[in-house]
Amino acid sequence: MKILLIIPAYNEEENILGVIHSIDEYNQKEEKKLDYIVINDGSKDNTEKILQENDIPHICLVQNIGIGGAVQTGYQYAKEKGYDIAVQFDGDGQHDIDYVKTICKPIIEKKTDMCIGTRYLDKTTSQFQSTFMRRLGSKIISFFIKITCKRKITDPTSGFRAVNKNLIQEFAQDYPAEYPEPESTVCILKKGYEVLEIPVSMKERRGGKSSIRFWKTADYMFKVCFAIILDSINNKRKVE
Amino acid sequence: MQLSLRIALIVITLIYLLLILRAVKHKKLKISLSIFWVFTGFILIVAIAIPHAIEAISDFLGFTLTTNMLFCITIFISFYLIFQLMVQLTKVAKQNVNLIQEISRLKKRVDDIEEEKNNNKSE
Repeated sequence: MKILLIIPAYNEEENILGVIHSIDEYNQKEEKKLDYIVINDGSKDNTEKILQENDIPHICLVQNIGIGGAVQTGYQYAKEKGYDIAVQFDGDGQHDIDYVKTICKPIIEKKTDMCIGTRYLDKTTSQFQSTFMRRLGSKIISFFIKITCKRKITDPTSGFRAVNKNLIQEFAQDYPAEYPEPESTVCILKKGYEVLEIPVSMKERRGGKSSIRFWKTADYMFKVCFAIILDSINNKRKVE
Repeated sequence: MQLSLRIALIVITLIYLLLILRAVKHKKLKISLSIFWVFTGFILIVAIAIPHAIEAISDFLGFTLTTNMLFCITIFISFYLIFQLMVQLTKVAKQNVNLIQEISRLKKRVDDIEEEKNNNKSE
């Protein structure tokens, strides 16, 4: 089982090295090594320089195309290199490397096609529960996914997720660019793939600023819900 | 409409048609897209030359004023054009993303191959 971590990074000069160090440390103590690829989404700061100087495997997108396009590039790379599992792992240090094997386990055991690391499922595991607005937003998106796909997804905006080979193929070809996390979940649920959620703990961002700002949340919410409804109509069942 | 006004309008429309044809000649506008603009130019000339025809149509359709009908048509056509533009824009944006991804992945592959070559040489 070859596992690839896809690490999208946009202006992450403060965090990226820490993330890579945590992966290297993990690889030293664990038997099962993780490959990783950083997708530098046309960063304007020194991210590219840091990646080059430290000899970190990365793809530098020649222009900024947004998180969706960046992650898709990672899936295309995973497909090209024949990886069995691809894990989306944020470049800002929010995700904990030790949980990678937790979310990969159900996929290795062939219990599911996609496994989402969720921060709300178990209050004790996660020290970071995010802001009230974010939690409310997630609840509303969850509600929309529930009525369109008849499945409960507690943390639809979580960027910490592992997918199997079938979904790598699927995402390499077509990945929602505008609201990638909730939309891709709806698309694959509608296509008939299995999705599983596992509680993980997430840290607060170490440095820099999150790309979703407080006042943008309401606008984001409205558009995501609209996108979910459209996606649920447009995606036909593919697998049984 | 006074004759002087009609002549002025026709002259303006003719200039407009000339500008479009020039744009096509200099490859600033695709021929398939220019058809729409040339067509509107001709319709304008006809409308200016025989204004009674337009008034008759407007009366027949039940508009209180002829200008209402003209504004109505213009707005509908504008909406349609903006919509078409957005469709095209989405298409172009998608193609753009595909190209960026493809180029970036190729760049990575070239770098990898070059590095391998250098390593082989040093050995």
